[in-house]
Amino acid sequence: MYRGREGQWAFLLHRLSGLAILAYLLLHVFSIGSFMFGERFYMAIHHTYDLWPFRVGLVFVTAGVVYHAFNGLRIIVMDFTGAGVAYQRQMWYGVLLISAASFVYAAVSLYPRLVGGY
Amino acid sequence: MIRARTFTDARQQAHSNAELNWWVFMRISGLILVFLVLGHIYMTFIQVSEADATFDAVVGKLANPAWKFYDWLILSLALLHGANGARYSIEDYVRSRPGRAWVKGVFYSVVALLFAFGTIGLFSI
Repeated sequence: MYRGREGQWAFLLHRLSGLAILAYLLLHVFSIGSFMFGERFYMAIHHTYDLWPFRVGLVFVTAGVVYHAFNGLRIIVMDFTGAGVAYQRQMWYGVLLISAASFVYAAVSLYPRLVGGY
Repeated sequence: MIRARTFTDARQQAHSNAELNWWVFMRISGLILVFLVLGHIYMTFIQVSEADATFDAVVGKLANPAWKFYDWLILSLALLHGANGARYSIEDYVRSRPGRAWVKGVFYSVVALLFAFGTIGLFSI
């Protein structure tokens, strides 16, 4: 069921998106938490985060969180119901579809910020 | 680490109670985080444009204790969920025993410091 098939890719993407979200979370907690050092410090970090790789990264983070969330639900369904295992491939394609849709949605709604910054 | 598809398999494969408890924790915290994090993204990213996320807006929103608790719940659950997920990856990919101890030691320290930083930040307003 697993090797080289959908299950393996689902597992790999779940891990990669999880580690990427964790990296984002660490940066996010640091940047938002830094407001306790005052506005100047907070804005210095946020000007760094306004560089284009971070702006493009927002789109990937949104899609990554949606993938991780819905694939996590798929895992829970597989773990706790017998029927979930039988439909894990179909569910995975559903998860991919939702993730792609949220990628496009985030890219469209963030477009002004992607090209213009704040 | 447990590689199981059902709770019964997980219970048979778990080497210790702690490992089984983490397996269950990942499912439960994941389920809660789906709502907390997607709600957080929706409220701070789509409902409000990022240009509104100024210093004053963040301070003003966090003055409400309900948002403090909401954000602290995300902070603690997400860090625990993420740290345990990273632990699975470290145990899978860092092969040497001393290497694993170092990577884990540094990684857990960073997570603990950031948890303290975030908690102090949230409740210092």
